[in-house]
Amino acid sequence: MRDVAIIGVGMIPFGRRDEDSLLDMLAYASLNALDDAGMGDKTVDAVYVGNMGAGIIQHQTSIASSLVDRLSLLPAAADVVENGPASGGSAVKNGLLAVASGYYDYVLVAGGEKMREITGWRATDFVATMTHPEVEYPYGITLPGMAGMFTQLYMEKYGVTREHLLAVAMKNQEMGALNPYAHVEMLLDREGIFDSPHAVVNNPVAATPLHLYDLCPVSDGAAAVILCPLDMAKKLQNKPPVLIAGFGQATDTHTLQERDDPTDLKAVTLAAQQAFDMAKLKPKDIDVAELHDAFTILEIAESEHIGFFKKGEGGKAAAAGKTRLGGQLPINVSGGLKSRGHPVGATGVAQIVDITFQLRHELPKDRQVKNAKHGFTINFGGFGNNVVSFVLKRTEP
Amino acid sequence: MKNEIAITAFKCKKCGRIHYPFHDRCLECKNREFEKIKPQGNAKLLTYTSIYNLPWGFDQRFLIIGVAEFENKIKAMGQIKADSIDELKLGMEVRPSWESVRVQAGEDVFGLKFEPIG
Ligand SMILES: [Zn+2]
Repeated sequence: MRDVAIIGVGMIPFGRRDEDSLLDMLAYASLNALDDAGMGDKTVDAVYVGNMGAGIIQHQTSIASSLVDRLSLLPAAADVVENGPASGGSAVKNGLLAVASGYYDYVLVAGGEKMREITGWRATDFVATMTHPEVEYPYGITLPGMAGMFTQLYMEKYGVTREHLLAVAMKNQEMGALNPYAHVEMLLDREGIFDSPHAVVNNPVAATPLHLYDLCPVSDGAAAVILCPLDMAKKLQNKPPVLIAGFGQATDTHTLQERDDPTDLKAVTLAAQQAFDMAKLKPKDIDVAELHDAFTILEIAESEHIGFFKKGEGGKAAAAGKTRLGGQLPINVSGGLKSRGHPVGATGVAQIVDITFQLRHELPKDRQVKNAKHGFTINFGGFGNNVVSFVLKRTEP
Repeated sequence: MKNEIAITAFKCKKCGRIHYPFHDRCLECKNREFEKIKPQGNAKLLTYTSIYNLPWGFDQRFLIIGVAEFENKIKAMGQIKADSIDELKLGMEVRPSWESVRVQAGEDVFGLKFEPIG
């Protein structure tokens, strides 16, 4: 197997992008990545597109074929990769394996989703299509609902409090406000959403015990990366290549109810473990992490399952500022899904883009983790039934 | 008239693990033979949530959903018949029924409901 490097990354600002089609967004992000790699007039051998909902939302299929056509990347091989909200991570995985195997040299991976062109309740229904079609979906369960049931058990078992959840929300919105690509660029006022009579109105219950500001927004957006073998990357004399040092992916039961302990996110633990083993690193070696905080509870639970903190300590760590920029382990310096937004197919790719910015040391001071060498991502599909993880490594001193 | 709880769970004939929904091979031992079993008695509420942003197809203001475990260990999701989650607590006993849980294309879709007891 060959070592694989990220040689270019691109993103477009997430948010509500009425003026752009899904294909427009994928094309813009891809062009940004090609330019970043210094390959503006070159082609690639293969393209992987992470997307969950074009068939349902846009009534459009085979979008990888459309993308290579728009970008004049013909006759590159092109595939769509669908793994729910982890479609982006899975697309990067496919690109990684294709290059590592020696079969392709240059691969474009793009992830994108356009979710704001349908109403909120259609979007909620679209996301709920990943629940079990017979024993979950008919009841009206939603992903926030799954997260609500999980949160209740996690609070009961590990003592996570609303105060801990609030710390995650406030941190991620504070960081998102500094990120030009973020959907939500608004600071949260603690009193307005937590400590006052107005909180009931400003921050209503979404799915007990989770409130509005525990949830990520519904977003449009796209992100892209260019991969090639590390030895070729070193000869390009472009921006410093970032090594994909480790990768992991694991699955768990479709329904929460069939897990022996529904608070145990086994697929997160396993995916992270695989990625660390492949990279020959440990959680304590990581300098910066992008976790899948579709719900604030997930940032806390994932930080524990990955091994950054002991079970029951993740919420306290967040509240103590240990996961802020400058803390013991900065988590979601991009603002996370909570602020950057969660265009489902784009998220896993956007996490890789953000960690690449960090490991190339090119962010402004108020967002850059000093001397970051090792980065980590978790992209969480379903309700933890298909999880993808990466360890990235800076290749220059 | 009370409807029968139209749920079938699958007990592995080799190791006894109970599956709901169906799996082609046992999650524990990969055996393919199952005994069909029906839920028995009341159930214990394992977790619940009150959802306010409902998906397309539901026009009420909120919906309480939970997972409960029957006396013979089948675990299943259902809608909870309560006006507020303040009436609920983890581990409480609930009585199952089989009722319309949503309407799709003008037709009732039947499923589990759980009503708190006491
Ligand atoms: Zn068995």
